[in-house]
Amino acid sequence: MNERYIIEVERATKAFGRLKALDGLTLRVREGETYGLLGPNGSGKTTLIRAIAGVIRLTSGTVRVMGEVVPSRRVATQVGYMTQAAALYEELTVRENVSFCARLYGLAGRARERVDEVLELVRLTERADNLVRVLSGGMRQRTNLACALVHRPRLLLLDEPTVGVDPRLRQSLWNYFHQVNREGTTLIISTHIMEEAERCSRIGLMRAGRFLAEGSPAELKARAGRDDLESAFLYYEGEGKVTGHD
Amino acid sequence: MTSGGTRILVIAGRIIRQLSRDRRTIGLIVVVPSLMLALLGYLISDDKGPVDLGVVNEDRAVTLPTGEVALGERLVGELKESELLSLRELRAGEWRDLLQRGEVKGVLLIPADFTRKLVSGHGQELALHLEGSEPVTAGQVQRGVALSLQDLMAERAGGEMPVTLATSYLYGGEDYGTLDYFAPGFIAGFVFFFVFLLTSVSFLRERSGGTIERLAASPVSQLEIVLGYLLGFSLFGALEALVILLFSIYVLKIQFVGSIALVLLVVLMLTLGAVNLGIFLSFFARNELQIAQFIPMVVIPQLLLGGLVWPVETLARPLQWLAAVMPLTYAISALKDVMIRGHDLAQIVPSLAFLLAFAVLMVGMAVLNLRREI
Repeated sequence: MNERYIIEVERATKAFGRLKALDGLTLRVREGETYGLLGPNGSGKTTLIRAIAGVIRLTSGTVRVMGEVVPSRRVATQVGYMTQAAALYEELTVRENVSFCARLYGLAGRARERVDEVLELVRLTERADNLVRVLSGGMRQRTNLACALVHRPRLLLLDEPTVGVDPRLRQSLWNYFHQVNREGTTLIISTHIMEEAERCSRIGLMRAGRFLAEGSPAELKARAGRDDLESAFLYYEGEGKVTGHD
Repeated sequence: MTSGGTRILVIAGRIIRQLSRDRRTIGLIVVVPSLMLALLGYLISDDKGPVDLGVVNEDRAVTLPTGEVALGERLVGELKESELLSLRELRAGEWRDLLQRGEVKGVLLIPADFTRKLVSGHGQELALHLEGSEPVTAGQVQRGVALSLQDLMAERAGGEMPVTLATSYLYGGEDYGTLDYFAPGFIAGFVFFFVFLLTSVSFLRERSGGTIERLAASPVSQLEIVLGYLLGFSLFGALEALVILLFSIYVLKIQFVGSIALVLLVVLMLTLGAVNLGIFLSFFARNELQIAQFIPMVVIPQLLLGGLVWPVETLARPLQWLAAVMPLTYAISALKDVMIRGHDLAQIVPSLAFLLAFAVLMVGMAVLNLRREI
């Protein structure tokens, strides 16, 4: 175990019947990184994020977060998890949803201030008292993000946070991500959009539950001798080689 | 161009294909009606078990020129042969106690001068004390006694029928209508049904909406989730009970002798079980349709076997075993104790204990399922 890493995934395998969603995958992420998981649908991104969040049990291998094997209640209080589909209560207002999450994570006295602060961050202050039911998809996604951010997590797991989101909102979501990252939060973001992956400090190219390659966007392009990530991805896919981390 | 008929066939074809892939629905279409009809057929038919009748026979034999006559003993013999009754011969001092405890559902008193009065051609009145809280049972006792008396009199030449029955009720009685007897069962049944449905659908939504995923990733434990649900839904269970209860008392004007607080306590205990059963079973459903399919399996048998209409003790042995593990059986029994018999807390503790045990078991099962899922 190494304290420098906030996430240590060791030879993680997760089988659903005969399908291996994760196939002996190893990953290490340092505190403060913005780590992107890039890969097509079904490559195991969501499964990896769920394993790190401690909501699934691995078939084999281990996941350590902040030095502890997950699921761990102590770790859970410091992790924020934004699921791919907005996981919200439709009959509650935006504020009620966010405040519910705040209280789940034990923000008692300061909860109200913090909820207001987060709603401001995702620009939902004016819609705070609207029921989630009446919100547009983009607003739901921002509420979902607010729920994941409200307890100031040290580690934020974002599962395809920009799917189905218009370009302007995508831009502003990335602004939030960079902002919380500057404030010290480590980010794990899964995506299948190449240009989003470019914004990460490091990315892992995923295919069939393994990493095809890992490194910063620049390194990956250089190693493949390509100008853009998409062609680099195809290059590594063609190579079929699985590189470990450095 | 497709005609209207073809388009109709296209839609029908799609529905048939879709439903035939849902094996559970097909199973339900085939199995459930047969099971339910078998159960109903049995319940409505008359060949159910005998009811316990106590008899206190103080009759003294009379010696006639033709020999000794003991009509009391002969009547006891007829009662023993009755398929409707299961006879217990009691001493004069003990019957009240047994009747109060419900160990016998009726007591027939045969006085010392029974034979003497009959052979001398006088009329005779027999006292029949009924427990009275179950109309079906009371009816069966009355029918059994009347038929035995008829048989006794038919044996005697002359066919005079100078015996009348003076019936009295420990609970209920002539003032009680059908509704008064059914109210406890309705309250328990509605509350159970409503709370079960509400919880199972809510929990299903928690799963299908993905919010359970967020809960799972949070510091909240599975037990805390289940107990939180329990606490939240119990309020609505109690509210439901209060509405049904007040409506029954003030609008339907049912006869009611017990305490409202005790009724609420029983209903609260039942709610605890129903909430957790709902959470537990919601794991086995993928959508609301499948939740609805649990109703004929989970709710209806309890309504039929739990003592709402047909007393549990008159059911066939295997059905009694089934009834013995159903929470509604205990809730209905406790509510009848409170509402019809006016029992106090101490007397319904065994039923409450079962309801509590059921709730605890269901909490455990729900937590286990939650643990397996996430």
